[in-house]
Amino acid sequence: MKFKNFVILMIVLLVSLSACAPEPIEEPTTVEEEQTDEPVGPVEEVDGLPQACLDDAFGCAVIPQGETIKIGMGAPLLGDYSMFGTDISQGVSLALQLDDGFEGWTYELVAEDTGGAPEAGAAVANKMVTDPTVVAIAGHIFSGSTEAAMPIYEKAGLPMMSPSATEPGLTAQGSKVFNRLAFTDADQGMFAANLLFNELGFTKIAVMHDGGSYGQGLADVVQAEFEALGGEVVAYEAVTPGEADYVAPLSAVASAGPEAVYFGGYAAEAIVMMNQWSQAGLDDALFFGCDGTYGVEFTDKTGVNGEGAIAVSLVPPDSEEKSAFDQQYAEQFGVEAGELSAFSWSSFDTGGVLIAAIEKVAFVEGDNLFVPRGALVEAVRNSDYVGLTGLVKCDEVGECNASGPTFYQVVDGVWLPLE
Amino acid sequence: MIKKFQNLNITWGTALRYIAGIIVVIYLLWRILQTTSIQGSYGPDTWMRFLITGLVIGGIYSLIAIGYTLVYGILFMINFAHGEVMMLGTFAGYFVLEAFAAISAPGSGNQNMSLLNTYPVAALVITFFVGASVSALIGYLLEKIAYRPLRGAQRLIPLISAIGASIFLQNAAQLLFGPQRRQYTNPDILWRGTGWMIPVGDKSVMLTYTGTFSFILSMLLMAGLLILVKKTRLGKSMRAVAENKQAAALMGIDVDAVISKTFIISGFLAGAAGVMWGIHNGLFNHYVGFIPGIKAFTAAVLGGVGNIPGAMVGGMLLGLLESLGPAILGIDFQLKDVIAFTILILVLIFRPSGLLGETLKEDKV
Repeated sequence: MKFKNFVILMIVLLVSLSACAPEPIEEPTTVEEEQTDEPVGPVEEVDGLPQACLDDAFGCAVIPQGETIKIGMGAPLLGDYSMFGTDISQGVSLALQLDDGFEGWTYELVAEDTGGAPEAGAAVANKMVTDPTVVAIAGHIFSGSTEAAMPIYEKAGLPMMSPSATEPGLTAQGSKVFNRLAFTDADQGMFAANLLFNELGFTKIAVMHDGGSYGQGLADVVQAEFEALGGEVVAYEAVTPGEADYVAPLSAVASAGPEAVYFGGYAAEAIVMMNQWSQAGLDDALFFGCDGTYGVEFTDKTGVNGEGAIAVSLVPPDSEEKSAFDQQYAEQFGVEAGELSAFSWSSFDTGGVLIAAIEKVAFVEGDNLFVPRGALVEAVRNSDYVGLTGLVKCDEVGECNASGPTFYQVVDGVWLPLE
Repeated sequence: MIKKFQNLNITWGTALRYIAGIIVVIYLLWRILQTTSIQGSYGPDTWMRFLITGLVIGGIYSLIAIGYTLVYGILFMINFAHGEVMMLGTFAGYFVLEAFAAISAPGSGNQNMSLLNTYPVAALVITFFVGASVSALIGYLLEKIAYRPLRGAQRLIPLISAIGASIFLQNAAQLLFGPQRRQYTNPDILWRGTGWMIPVGDKSVMLTYTGTFSFILSMLLMAGLLILVKKTRLGKSMRAVAENKQAAALMGIDVDAVISKTFIISGFLAGAAGVMWGIHNGLFNHYVGFIPGIKAFTAAVLGGVGNIPGAMVGGMLLGLLESLGPAILGIDFQLKDVIAFTILILVLIFRPSGLLGETLKEDKV
């Protein structure tokens, strides 16, 4: 009998506990997909094409009056990665909307769902090249999907500018049409090693990673680069991701006496490490993270322990333009810029870069707007544009993030751009 | 003739196993000698940190491992949902602490002074009690719903049911509480990352309050369990049921009730371990029980499954192996599980019943 009372008591406790359970987080609102609802009219046969179009290797995109200049995009708009596609398509479309157009023609984003998959990337690309009014591609978003789409756009002469495809090999394939605003992991590692050695003046660092291809890739670049600069890597250690106690590996690193610890990995592990920093005897060492460790979760869950930590982010430093963009983004889409992904700002710049390139080469003759495709491919590669994320200037293979990543440091519990 | 051949075959297998085992032992010893005598890369303070880490995590493993062992001892099944029982305890403790932190203390007049910091001891006691009780309740219900209907079935069937229950509980927790990581709010006196500084050589090593607290509490709980099993009537009937269910029933023991209570006790200990995990490590989500569950199962096998002191020793040993092993062998810390499981295999080669396990009779196995 007594035992039954105990059980009843516990049921009451459980019910009262479950009343305290917080509401599940609301799903991010889905984007209104911008589809081409209006049927693409039959291509009007233009008799006497302008000389510039006849000279161009890929010919011209001919856009009659009343049509829009279309920019294509292959993005994961549905499924597990939809927040990336949603955010990036919103950022690009905002840039296109805010532009006042070219000689009466306005811009329009045509975003198609790839789900992030390579096959779907190729399918979207095949669809894009059949639409004669699509002149450029903002994307694709994931590296695999981008790689599959590249040869198709290459044949059709559609320039690409990806805000987010970071796979280093993409620009090594000799593609003329592919460019990206995203900085690769290799770039990030180089900038980080340089900052550690030259700007912060460290000579002895430890390098740690989580064993993943992203984290270890970064850690290896930093190690090689730091040693090439003349510094010494005194310890190199890996942790098992997903654990809650890293005192042992951190202590091993601490015994080598590094001045700073570089970590390639994600916030979950970085938070645990930061909270065990002094337990492991690393009080004198600086924590230096990567774009995987940046975010509000890090500052929230490390509190005072996280003070002074450095990380990297795609979020540009504060400026008037940035706050104006943030406000417009929030008004238009009902979510804060950066809430769905960190690519809001670079996708806005992607739109800006493409518009600038189109306006450089497009011209009006009669009732039609002509965009010479080959010239546009070159114009995008020769971009020289200052956007929210800094200078966009492509090198000969199409790496366009000339200003490098932005480094941030935790000061009083907030990420501030590193001086 | 065939029988003779089979006998020979078994002998060969055993011999091969032993040879492999001996080679691994020699290799490990050689590595240890090499790293400790030649390199000597770590100072005494670092060794001290490894030791402290190992003891704290070992205490938590031990508490969970006892749950596996108790259930195995009585039902001869591995309760694979045990890690999830611990996970629900971690959640329960979290919500209690959050509630305490959210209410400001009456009469203090200071808004910043929450109930949690005004009465930290009471808050902790209630947190542990609620966390452990919720896990005990889950353990009780688990047995009632998922295992009891399958009592007479083949041995594999309750095992599959346990795996199903594990997946169910994990996903239920994700649906109920969301997939995001949460962090325990500790009272100020037990703040994570604070502790006593112990001078070792010319450096000082931090002995964290949370770690010390967890270690002492796990020791007390294990002592309590040993007393319960050895001295009380319930303990006696548990041992009787473990020995022989039919005979126990004939002696007037309510076997079903004893099994239920065993699940309640193992759930209680897992819940306490779950709250400890939260207080010491802080970060958790609905996966928190999975890895400790697997590790504790390993610890139970290491110590001899079915044997309570064996689970305690196994848990401690596993915790120490994980933190000291990579350092002693001079290899990457990511490989700590490799060391732990190598030791497990070695133990199973040389002592298949575990370190402290007894050899079971045919009818029990």
